[in-house]
Amino acid sequence: MDAIEVIDLTKRFGDNIAVNGIRFRVREGETFGFLGPNGAGKTTTIRMLTGMTGITSGRALIHGHDIVRDTLAAKRLMGIVSETSNVYDELSAWDNLVFTGRLYHLGKAEIRRNARDLLETFGLYGRRHEPAEGFSKGMKRRLTLAMGLVNSPGVLFLDEPTSGLDVQSRRLIRDVVQDLARENVTIFLTTHDIEEANVTCDRVAIINQGTIAAIDAPEKLKQTFESLQSVEVSFDSARPGLLEALRTLPQVNAVQKEGDKFRLYTADPPEVLGSLCAFAKEQNLRPISITTRGPSLEEVFIRLTGLSVGTKKEAGEADAGLV
Amino acid sequence: MPGWFEQISCDLGAAWAIARKDMKIYYIKPSILVSSLLFPFVMFLAFAIGRNAPAGTLLPGLLAITLLFSASSIEPVSIPIERRTKTFDRLLAAPVSVRAIVLGASLSGAVFASAIGIATTAIGLVAFRTGIIHIVALLAGLALTSLCFSTMGTLFAAYRTENVGEVMSLLNLVRLPLLFISGVFIPLASMPAWGQTIALLSPLTYAHDLILFAFDGTTLFGPVADTAVLVLATVLFQAVGALLYRRSRE
Ligand SMILES: Nc1ncnc2c1ncn2[C@@H]1O[C@H](COP(=O)(O)OP(=O)(O)OP(=O)(O)O)[C@@H](O)[C@H]1O
Ligand SMILES: [Mg+2]
Repeated sequence: MDAIEVIDLTKRFGDNIAVNGIRFRVREGETFGFLGPNGAGKTTTIRMLTGMTGITSGRALIHGHDIVRDTLAAKRLMGIVSETSNVYDELSAWDNLVFTGRLYHLGKAEIRRNARDLLETFGLYGRRHEPAEGFSKGMKRRLTLAMGLVNSPGVLFLDEPTSGLDVQSRRLIRDVVQDLARENVTIFLTTHDIEEANVTCDRVAIINQGTIAAIDAPEKLKQTFESLQSVEVSFDSARPGLLEALRTLPQVNAVQKEGDKFRLYTADPPEVLGSLCAFAKEQNLRPISITTRGPSLEEVFIRLTGLSVGTKKEAGEADAGLV
Repeated sequence: MPGWFEQISCDLGAAWAIARKDMKIYYIKPSILVSSLLFPFVMFLAFAIGRNAPAGTLLPGLLAITLLFSASSIEPVSIPIERRTKTFDRLLAAPVSVRAIVLGASLSGAVFASAIGIATTAIGLVAFRTGIIHIVALLAGLALTSLCFSTMGTLFAAYRTENVGEVMSLLNLVRLPLLFISGVFIPLASMPAWGQTIALLSPLTYAHDLILFAFDGTTLFGPVADTAVLVLATVLFQAVGALLYRRSRE
């Protein structure tokens, strides 16, 4: 049985369709990433899957339990880490965990044991009696995570677990998530951080404006975008008109200037390498470095979501003639 | 059936956990405790000044008002705040029924108001040298009135807003008129017929009647009827509360 099964799930807020008929399955023990720009519907999806908000139409099953009809059974199986670190500021770290344990109907001994272990894991044990009010952002985030794990959930929902954290906290959270995945906990995580999705997720869904644009393993997503392969070259001297000249090379779909480098997008990197060398000789230019690169998940993402933000604008325009 | 029994015991456990959490965060605070104890004192002055009724006869009315206000004042503040800080989401996401959430929120207010009511009674007894005739009626009156009005406060907080003022003004729209139509300020006997009819709809009327009976034995409806109405009103508020909270999830 799948850990999460989502069938034509839709959520409307008045006229605004936040999530539009999405469907996917997450296997038990899988780490599933939900990647999308701001306002794509990631949080709304998590809120529906966890029963925090109603469903307009469609269904969601957690280990076969319908989140609407069999709410309590489904909720018992899951842990939730919300987008905002929603801890009770007035309560100590310890009391926050104890209260959460009670909400999940755990026994006294189990609560104490889990609370101690989690506070130690997240480096908060020494400050367990302090009110959370005085905690830094990273500490509150870690406490939120500990609270999400107090009932030893089989399915863990993480809404942007590491956004805005320093490298150390990020690392810690990533390690904990990977350990859980090894213990066969199913993890559903949303993120903007493409690299995070790339290294932690077995599969990624890319969601945009409430619909899923693609679902696959990160590497496979990259492969489907062969035309996003590129050759990156840097010459010993800059010269006006170089960008335009590079664009005319055969098999080159688009060229983008990135600092002192040029990136030539192509479906056929070896061919472009050849013509690039000939071009350099002809123009009397010396390439300092040449690298070929597969498509990055970021490029796949931008392609799928049709996004071209800020400095990426030029690339977006160049991309227009790409497919 | 064990499944059914287990669900009830889980709900009660969770409700109690929520009540304890609320008491810890919102009630056991010096400022809240002091202002709650000061309230009946100020009310007493407002009542007593310029009247020549013996001070002791004011105690039951005073107690009824104190219970009404202390029971219904915190949840309408705490719930919008928890919506804003998103901690309310924790309750919605937990394997806890909406009934248990409403009961838990109401219980904390009820325990708090009962404690304030007992303190007010103790001070009143010493200050006015009055006595209690029916201690059981008094305890029942304190507990039921507290739970009834804390449930009313919780019910108003179902109005989905993160703004405390909105809930409070809605609540006061109901709470303040209750004072005048429940026989606390104006005896029922001296009200016009339409006033008496409305008074019959107010739980505060029965709360006041029950407390009055406990102190001096006079009663309009009898302690059993008073108790029954308070229990019914509480059950009704709990049920409507659960319905509204279920609806108020977007
Ligand atoms: N309570 C609400 N009322 C009305 N509209 C809402 C509500 N919550 C979300 N929306 C709308 O639903 C859409 C999706 O929002 P959502 O919070 O799910 O996005 P997200 O993918 O989590 O974005 P972010 O990356 O910024 O967190 C947005 O258009 C948002 O305005
Ligand atoms: Mg979000």
